[in-house]
Amino acid sequence: MAAPDNIDAPPILTVEGMSVDLKVPSGMLHAVNKIDFSVRPGQTFCIVGESGCGKTMTSLALMRLLPRSAKLSATRLNFDGHDLLSLSDHAMAELRGDRLGMIFQDPMTSLNPVYTIGNQMEEVYLRHRKSGRREARERAEFMLQRVGIMSPALRLKQFPHQLSGGLRQRVMIAMTLMCEPRLVIADEPTTALDVTVQVQILQLLTKLQEEFGMAIILITHNLGIVARMADRLAVMYAGKIVETGSALDVFTQPHHPYTQGLLRCMPTHDHGAPATRLGSIPGIVPSLVGDIRGCGFANRCDYVRDACRTGDIALRELPDGAAYRCVIPPDEALARPAELATP
Amino acid sequence: MNMQPKTQQSPATQTPAVEIANLSRSFQVGASLMSKGKTLRAVEDVNLSVKRGEVLGIVGESGSGKTTLSRMMLGLMKPSGGSIRIDGQNITTIGRSELSRKVQPVFQDPYSSLNPRKTIGQIISLPLETHGSGSREERTKAVEEMMLQVGLAPRLIHSYPSQLSGGQRQRVAIARALMIRPEILICDEPTSALDVSVQAQILNLLKDLREKFNLTYIFITHDLGILEFIADRVAVMYMGRVVESATAWNVMNAPRHPYAEALLGSVLTPDPKLGLPDLHLGRGFPDPLNPPTGCSFHPRCPKAMPQCSANAPRTTRDEHGLVECHLYPEGASK
Repeated sequence: MAAPDNIDAPPILTVEGMSVDLKVPSGMLHAVNKIDFSVRPGQTFCIVGESGCGKTMTSLALMRLLPRSAKLSATRLNFDGHDLLSLSDHAMAELRGDRLGMIFQDPMTSLNPVYTIGNQMEEVYLRHRKSGRREARERAEFMLQRVGIMSPALRLKQFPHQLSGGLRQRVMIAMTLMCEPRLVIADEPTTALDVTVQVQILQLLTKLQEEFGMAIILITHNLGIVARMADRLAVMYAGKIVETGSALDVFTQPHHPYTQGLLRCMPTHDHGAPATRLGSIPGIVPSLVGDIRGCGFANRCDYVRDACRTGDIALRELPDGAAYRCVIPPDEALARPAELATP
Repeated sequence: MNMQPKTQQSPATQTPAVEIANLSRSFQVGASLMSKGKTLRAVEDVNLSVKRGEVLGIVGESGSGKTTLSRMMLGLMKPSGGSIRIDGQNITTIGRSELSRKVQPVFQDPYSSLNPRKTIGQIISLPLETHGSGSREERTKAVEEMMLQVGLAPRLIHSYPSQLSGGQRQRVAIARALMIRPEILICDEPTSALDVSVQAQILNLLKDLREKFNLTYIFITHDLGILEFIADRVAVMYMGRVVESATAWNVMNAPRHPYAEALLGSVLTPDPKLGLPDLHLGRGFPDPLNPPTGCSFHPRCPKAMPQCSANAPRTTRDEHGLVECHLYPEGASK
C-alpha cells in the first residue's frame, strides 16, 4: 500500500519478451520465458511465485548478474533511458549501485566479512560520486540514521558479524540507498529475518520509498507481504507471468487457477474458527528443460482441458491493465467457488 | 505391520505425554584458560505439560530457545536443571533406544536431514533395522505401506533424496519418523523450507497422521499463522522463557503478553486492503549474554512500565493458561 498508482508517468523500467535460458547437461532450461512488465517511478511492483518459477533469474537478468551459462534475450529492456541489452559491462557497472540498487536475501553473505560497514558503504559513494573520503563518511552516517540505526559513527567501525540479522539488513538497505537509486530490486529481503523484524524492515522500505521516491521491485514467495506492499504485481509460474494486475484486483478477484490455488493455501486468521484443512495444489512444478508446450500449470490444474496442452496460451486482458494467461474466459474463471478443489 | 490406530491407553491413566518442570539449559560462551566466559541461558525455568494426542505449538524468534528445548526432549542434550518426563518417566532414566521408540524428530531442512547416498527405502527402514524388528521382507512391506500413508508412490522406494522434491523429501522424513510408531513427534519448523502450496500439503498430512496414529506433536515454528491451523495449545517463548501459554484460540484471539501480541500482529494475511501493521516495538535487541534486568522483553515492549525494568514478572496461572508479565499480576481476575 505505497504511493498511488502513477499511471501517467512513463515507466522507469520496461521489460518486453524477456527470456533467460540456461544450458544444463540435459538441454536448454527456460528459466524465464518471454515475460513483459513495466514499473513506474515510485511504484512497488511485486513478483511472486514459488521456488523455481524464475523470479530470482528475472532479478539477476535486470541487474545483468546472470551466471555465465545463462543467455539473456528480450525484444525490449529499457531502464531509465538505457538499453540494458546493449550496455557495455563497464556502463552497466556504473549503473549498478548508483541508479539501480539491489537488496539480497541474506545480508550475511552479501556483505563482505573482512571490511567494516563504513568501508563498504563509503566505497559505493567514492566510486559513483567521485567524492572525498570525508564526504562519503558523512553520507554513510546520514544513511545509517535514515534506516534507524542508533550511534551510526560506532556502527561504521564495526564488521558485519558484529550486527544482528535485522541490523545487517538495515545496513544493506542504507548501502543500497547511498546514491539514491531510481529503482531498487529487493529479492526476498526479509526471508532470513524474524517475523517482527520482517514487519519493521518492510515498514522501513515503505518509509524510505516515500522519502526518496524510488521504485521497488519486490521479489518474494510470501503472499502476505505482496498483499500489504504491492501497487502492482505479477504471479510467476514455470518461467511465465500467469497473472498480473493491481494488488487489489489480483487478491480479490484472482482469475488464474494457480493464483486461486496459492491463495487457498494460506492459513487464514479471521477471528473465527480456523480452517480444518488447508487448500493445496497437488503435483509438482514441471521440468523447464526443453520445449514446453501449452500451459505449464496444466498437469496440476483442476480445470485442465484439451486446449491447455497445445500451443501458446494467449494472455487475456482485463480492465486496469490486469491480465492472466489461461484458456478459460473471465466469467467462468471467477465463477469458481473459493472452497472448491480442496481435497 | 497393521495400520490400525494404536490402542489408546485407558483414559483413567491421564499421565501427560510430556511434562516439563523447571527446565533450564545454559551454555558457557567464550570460555578460555584465563576466564570462565559468560553464561548464556538458552532455556530458563520452563514448565509445560502436553496431553496425549495434543498438539503443542512453540513459537518464538530465533534465539528464543525453541530448538534447545526440542533437543532436550529428544534426549540429544542434557538439561542443566529441571526435568522432562515422557509418559511419566524421567527422561534421564529412559534408555536411548527406548526413548527413540517414543519420541521422533522431523527436522526443518529435508535437504540436509536425509542421507544423500541411501535410497528412500533404506532411509525409511533404518529405524526398523536399528530396533531389529521384522525380517527383510516384512520391513520392505512396512516401508511400502508407510510410503502410501504419507502420500509417496511406492515406486520411489529405490530413488535417492536428490531425485525428490522438497515436499516429497519432507514426506520421507515423516515416514521415517513414524516407522517405529512413536507416540510423540517433535517437528522443528517442518515446513519453513517449503513453498506455500507444498507447506499446505504437509500440514494437512501431519493433521491426518495425528488422527490416524493418535500422535502427540510438539510443533516448533516462528509462524503463528500455521499454529492456528495445527495446534491445540501454544507456548510463546522469548529469550529462553515461556512468557505465555494458552489454547491456540486464546493466543490467536486474545493474546495477553505484549510479545504474543506483537507476534500475532506480524502475521501478514493476504489482504490488499490492509497496510503493514504498526507493532510499536522498540528496536533494541537484547544481548542474550547480558540479558536486560527485570522482564527481558521490556526494552522492546510498547507497554513497558517502571517496574518492568526493575523486577522480573512472576508467573500468573489461571483458567486461560500462563502468562509472565507485570500487566497480569498474580491473583488479578484477568
